[in-house]
Amino acid sequence: MARIYQIPSHARSWLSLAIIAASLPQLWDGPLWQAGLLGVVLVWRTLMDRQRLVLPGRIPRLVLLMATVAATFYSFGRLHGPEAGTALITSLFALKYLELVSKRDAYVVIVLGYFVCATILLFHRGPAMALYVIGCLILLTASLAGINYSDTHARRRQHLSVAAVMVAQALPLAVALFVLVPRIAPLWNMQLDSGQARTGMSDSMSPGQVSRLTQSSELAFRVQFEGEVPPPRQRYWRGLTYSYFDGSTWRQASPPGWRREQLFYDGRGPLPDWYRSLSDAADTANTGYRYRVIMEPSRQRWLYALTVPFTDFQGESLARDFRLVADGPVNGAFSYQVRSVDVTPAALPLDDLERRLMLDLPEQGNPRARALAQRWRQRHRDDGALVDTALAYFREQPFFYTLEPPRVAGDTVDRFLFGTRQGFCEHYASSFTFLMRAAGIPARVVAGYQGGEMNSGDYLQVRQYDAHAWSEVWLPGRGWVQVDPTAAVAPERVELGLRGAFENAADGAAGEFAGLGRLPVLFQLQQWADYVDFNWQKWVLGYRQQAQRDLLERLLGAVTPLRIGLALLTVILVFSLVLGLLVLNRRRDTPVSPLEREFARLHRALAQRGLRAPASVSAAQLEAAVTRRWPSAATAAGHWRRWFEHLAYRDQGEPGPADLAGLRRRRRAVLSSLVTSNRAK
Amino acid sequence: MLKQAWQRWLDRRLPRARQVQLDQRRIFIFPTGYGFLYLLVAVLLFFGGINYENNLILGLCFLMVSLFLVAILHTFRNLSGLSLRAGASRAGFVGGQGSVEVVLIAQRRPHRALWLRWLDQPAQEISVEPGEESALWLNLPLARRGRMRPPRLRVESRYPLGLLRSWSLVALDQVCLAWPRPQESPDCPADGGDRERRVAHAGQSGSEEFQGLRGYVPGDSMGQVDWKGYARGRGLNVKLFEEPASGRLWLRYDRIEGRPVEQRLSILCFWVLRLSRENRPYAMALPGAELPPGQGEEHRQRALNLLARHGDREAD
Repeated sequence: MARIYQIPSHARSWLSLAIIAASLPQLWDGPLWQAGLLGVVLVWRTLMDRQRLVLPGRIPRLVLLMATVAATFYSFGRLHGPEAGTALITSLFALKYLELVSKRDAYVVIVLGYFVCATILLFHRGPAMALYVIGCLILLTASLAGINYSDTHARRRQHLSVAAVMVAQALPLAVALFVLVPRIAPLWNMQLDSGQARTGMSDSMSPGQVSRLTQSSELAFRVQFEGEVPPPRQRYWRGLTYSYFDGSTWRQASPPGWRREQLFYDGRGPLPDWYRSLSDAADTANTGYRYRVIMEPSRQRWLYALTVPFTDFQGESLARDFRLVADGPVNGAFSYQVRSVDVTPAALPLDDLERRLMLDLPEQGNPRARALAQRWRQRHRDDGALVDTALAYFREQPFFYTLEPPRVAGDTVDRFLFGTRQGFCEHYASSFTFLMRAAGIPARVVAGYQGGEMNSGDYLQVRQYDAHAWSEVWLPGRGWVQVDPTAAVAPERVELGLRGAFENAADGAAGEFAGLGRLPVLFQLQQWADYVDFNWQKWVLGYRQQAQRDLLERLLGAVTPLRIGLALLTVILVFSLVLGLLVLNRRRDTPVSPLEREFARLHRALAQRGLRAPASVSAAQLEAAVTRRWPSAATAAGHWRRWFEHLAYRDQGEPGPADLAGLRRRRRAVLSSLVTSNRAK
Repeated sequence: MLKQAWQRWLDRRLPRARQVQLDQRRIFIFPTGYGFLYLLVAVLLFFGGINYENNLILGLCFLMVSLFLVAILHTFRNLSGLSLRAGASRAGFVGGQGSVEVVLIAQRRPHRALWLRWLDQPAQEISVEPGEESALWLNLPLARRGRMRPPRLRVESRYPLGLLRSWSLVALDQVCLAWPRPQESPDCPADGGDRERRVAHAGQSGSEEFQGLRGYVPGDSMGQVDWKGYARGRGLNVKLFEEPASGRLWLRYDRIEGRPVEQRLSILCFWVLRLSRENRPYAMALPGAELPPGQGEEHRQRALNLLARHGDREAD
């Protein structure tokens, strides 16, 4: 006869709680009907447990299942993929709970629960959510402990404490496995395609775009320096360059007909000429800055670094225009090590095709700007002097730095230069580059971030509102030179960062930043939170192949499969041994009453002072022994003995904390009277 | 062949004893089906974590794996230190069931959700808290007459997580007697009593003379208690009758002829039960053993036990 093992009632509440807890994040993120579904299931289940309703028949359940699948398809447009899959598995989890009868059903629900926990981590990667998932795991474990203990006398709390103890015991080994188990490369490509647009750079620039970025205080990336940190005015984090202008929009471009090797080097294959000359120049130059950049997911391939960045090509390549490009979109934790060297001498000659591209302008448009550039050209033969004149023009003419410039259309450069004269970095970079090209100087727009805020002297946070655009001009004999026309107009934007700039300018433009929280306490809290988040990103989320190899090299000397295997084996053995001693130790199992513990303390303390009494001594015998040895302690020992016996043999039950405190006090009195009697001798 | 080797190995490793304390030599442990499923989930999460390059999912997988390792220790701990002692036993007829008492003693730690079973009987679940003893009666099907040693008892536990099963095969030094299956026979194989070999059906025949009273001893037949005296407050006494020598029945093995041993014993058994039911005194003579005359529950037990032990070399 097959027995149906029922789920004991004391286990049920943990199971329900585990289901609710594990589903919550998905209910929060997902479509509303899911919350409704779980609500209906929970109410139905409760009524069933109270015998007010019966389990719906097979056909209604099937209909419910189909409806759920259909609703998932309706909400997500598909059934595969992480979002739809997560929604589906969470719904199935709830539905399975409805038809929970036997122990086997409970096992199925719990297995689904582990998957639901994993899907939470797919979309939420903060430290708080990790703790939350551990909490869910404890609840699931408590449910397991409950269904495996069918004794009706079992108490609910018992399961939770068993689960909590076991998970706590498992954590150290889990950490060791996390550190040691080799990370292998993905077996097949599974990208999270959440379809949500992320703030950040885009591959084109037209007025108004950076203004939107500026309003977001979301983190873009963090930088951890080894050694020297560059001053704020040198923190130009280059991300991408725009070389093609169509009259209103700047776009990325490369000289026509160039092959990939001429533009990128990914560390494999033969060294391209341009990379060889760059790295030769870098070898003779000063050391520069060394740092690691920890990216936030940007869903884009552009990486940010100071010029000229050299890297070890762990998933990124160097482009000919001195920027780093990731091999794939940055969807998760990604970090890279950079050495930035300022190779100012003309390390790279400007190719003819490249020169043509960097001078390219639309046939027509912006005639006044072109005329201005021609006037400058006639005045200065030297390109450097011309650049200075242009910067002086920006500085001396009444240009204003503002985040909310009036909209301009048509000949945007002319309208800005000779009309509104209000704008932010994009307007300045765009018009400056236009002027340079019109004057015959190869120039391009660079987009990236400028500045960043140091967090407790440890690392730099660069946020979306640090987004910036500036220019680079190619000067004979000097190569590409960075020019920031915005700095000519609003030097504080570069020196103090955007937030600082607006704090100084006590005008209405600071309105947007009033809410950014410069309250000292809040600011401090925010910094701490970010500090935790940074280390979480770096050590937990960013602990990938390279980081693991670095750490293991430091721990194990060399990273060989044999060493890792041995280390894993050792860790598991040591862990099992220590835990085995802890768990299987008989002595710890013996329940000791607080009174016995108190007795043992005095016994031990006396033994330390030279009075060795047998373990089976009674309170009265102990008192007698103390009195014989230290007559002056006789009174105190008598007090202690009487109080002990009173607590041990009275019939008011277990001694309370106050009683025990009294006993403790008397014990101390005995011990201190020993000291005084010693002194008397 | 293999089975015998296994049995021999078990007998060496876990010899029969009155009391057994489970320790690492006696406990086996292996994952359950659900344990394997759990590990499979962990492996799937590992691949998920690798493919999504999600360290947190990997961390969850590692936590699950180390929870499994911790569960090994806890499942082992749930059996380790448990003592089992052979308790009493209740005999039964061949074809029916006897039962055997097993006492579980928890010394220092609780032992929860233990399943005890042998052969393919449904398991019985029991939990013992530290410092307590719990007794469990386990049924034992009786296939043939005689002294029956129960097979190895399987003590199993999946507590706390059900991921692993730890078990031990305990051989307790216990005996359960199997009485012969009663076989109806019209002729009473007896000497004495009535001339005819039939026994009068009357409960208390007139051939007995009232002798007096004596104090009740457990096992005395209820039919002989002096209920009237008890109702008058004279205490529980038993009426004694002097039976005439001719009324005493000697059930004799030798008087059944031409039948195999077991059948003879079955017939004797039938008559023992019948005479007991009728509250008639009887005695029994088997080759090599004799039961003096008597009556009552205790006497019946003794007679049945004697029948069960007939031909037993180990009889003690």
